Amino acid sequence: MNETLDLFAAWLRGTSISEAIRVAPWLWPLCEILHFFGLSLLIGIAGFFDLRLLGFMKRVPISAAWTLMPWAKFGFALSALTGVTFFIGAPDQYVDNPAFYGKVFFLIVANLNAVYFEALYRRQVEARALDSGGPIALKVIAAVSIVSWFFVIYWGRMLPFIGNAF
Amino acid sequence: MMELLASLENSGFGTWLRESPSIWAYPAVLTLHTIGLGVLVGGNAVLDLRLLGWGRAIPLAPLEKLFPVMWIGFWVNAISGVALFVGDATTKGTTWVFMTKLGIIVVGVVLLFALKRTVYGRGDAGVVETPTSRALAAASLALWFLAIVTGRYMAYV
Repeated sequence: MNETLDLFAAWLRGTSISEAIRVAPWLWPLCEILHFFGLSLLIGIAGFFDLRLLGFMKRVPISAAWTLMPWAKFGFALSALTGVTFFIGAPDQYVDNPAFYGKVFFLIVANLNAVYFEALYRRQVEARALDSGGPIALKVIAAVSIVSWFFVIYWGRMLPFIGNAF
Repeated sequence: MMELLASLENSGFGTWLRESPSIWAYPAVLTLHTIGLGVLVGGNAVLDLRLLGWGRAIPLAPLEKLFPVMWIGFWVNAISGVALFVGDATTKGTTWVFMTKLGIIVVGVVLLFALKRTVYGRGDAGVVETPTSRALAAASLALWFLAIVTGRYMAYV
């Protein structure tokens, strides 16, 4: 795609940490398992909160649904850490891969959306000011969250098919 | 048995799923399998974590609505899983990892029914949290984690 990126990928692949990731026979499968378990926690917990914002399970106070969010962040951390491990181990699989950029794009959208929510609404949620519902913007944020995480998964799954990653 | 697996794999559908260059064949089915996994395991994790003591401010009664969500995830994965199996029947049908995964899923489904009965099965008497419901929640979380472990491991055998 780009010569500078290819040079960067070749350099990264040549580092000892990159080789160590490729050589350890159990590390890649272990990271795959944790990547998918992290994905499940993130989708489940954040999806639950998003559904609540959209008006499902109205008997659950929004502030209460919010208290599980550290588990979604833990899931994201698991997936992000293992994802970075994949990238360091085999950067050449990703830098020329359109699916990788699709995934990164939606990761950025999903994270900006989450940061926006925290900046504008977290305090009100925790003060229980929004328990029975809030502005329509909350529903838009919830919908953006669901759609963007869906496309993160979609492009992630496309990595081996559109590009060359395993 | 081997003949049956081979005829499945060489069926029109099996061949299409495996060999079609279309993004709507193997890649789409695999994506559905991942989405279903996230919905089932993630939806289940919400209930399990609540029963294990996190998010205590969340009332348990409305969480009964998570069961239909989990069943959607389950059926998406049952159907996409059968499709993926048909495309690769002679390999998957003969590995111990796949059989172990199926066994884990059966136990996981039984645990889902047990969890629903234990927590929500008393009708008007209300929902209950007991040591049993906590044990079932821990077991359920562990079983679906193991389903992911064996599922991912299948890519390496």
